[in-house]
Amino acid sequence: MAEHVAHDDHSEDHESHSTKFYWMIGGILAVVTALEVGIFLVESSFDATLFLVILLGLALIKGAGVIAFFMHLRGDAKIFQFVFLVPLLFAFTLCLGFLKLFSNHVGIAG
Amino acid sequence: MSSSVSHGAHDEAHQKPLLGSMGVDSRKLGLWAFLGSETLFFVTLITTHLIFYARTKATLAAAGTLEHLDPRTHYLGIELTTVLASLLLASSLTMVLALAASKVKDWKKFRFWQMATILLGSAFVGGQVYEFNHLYHEGLKLAPQYVLEGETVKSLFGVTFFTMTGFHGLHVTIGIIWLIATYVKVAKFPDSPENPMDIELAGLYWHFVDLVWVAIFTLIYLI
Repeated sequence: MAEHVAHDDHSEDHESHSTKFYWMIGGILAVVTALEVGIFLVESSFDATLFLVILLGLALIKGAGVIAFFMHLRGDAKIFQFVFLVPLLFAFTLCLGFLKLFSNHVGIAG
Repeated sequence: MSSSVSHGAHDEAHQKPLLGSMGVDSRKLGLWAFLGSETLFFVTLITTHLIFYARTKATLAAAGTLEHLDPRTHYLGIELTTVLASLLLASSLTMVLALAASKVKDWKKFRFWQMATILLGSAFVGGQVYEFNHLYHEGLKLAPQYVLEGETVKSLFGVTFFTMTGFHGLHVTIGIIWLIATYVKVAKFPDSPENPMDIELAGLYWHFVDLVWVAIFTLIYLI
């Protein structure tokens, strides 16, 4: 019985710690979103390339935060990382390649 | 099952995840693989939109009309979209809090956070319906042209925009149905050992739709 109570206390501690941690991550992601919008609003004071790099960097931070901490991929089984991150990487490559190839392509529509 | 297996051993076996040959829960592995394929689906839609927007811009620039006929500048404001992005981000937080509560079997907290996630998701879909309706009346439609300042511009901007954001909205709607189903299942069977995994799977899908919106918000609305 004592062991059982001790186990429950431990669980509550664990939950409390996790909950605090998730709130912190949520707060950081909210700040990053606010930064994105703020930078968008003062776009004219940035060089176009710098603007692009900063916004893509902030989006990357947000995405990585969601994947690593909310989806718990960080520290999860390697096979989960493999089946998700490999297609993600392939998708990024595909996006960059197609943008490079077709953005100036004169097709039947557009 | 052999009759020599004790009742305790049976409970223990029943509470173990459904381990496949990879040594991990098969349902979770399947969902991660599905999400991996979904990244390709959404990246394809986003890329297509970006390519056709670039084409539209080039055409307008060549005609000297980019200033007043640029569809993105005219149609896509960030006020509503920032609210939508915040709603989905908040729902991701409430979802992970619901999962944390379920892992310590605090079903009261779980119900609270899960319901919060469902409501935030529903608010997102409502906001998106409002945005679509607004854009439609402004002249941007699911058609190979848009109308701005009385001029008709041939462009796939509207088609690719509505296809991309529409499919995302559809995914959010499916996510809400999944979350409601999980909520009801847990309420009906609070002692089921499969509850934490069921909630985790619904949560993974939910975080993924948030992740897609992170990309759409930056690539389509901000940049």
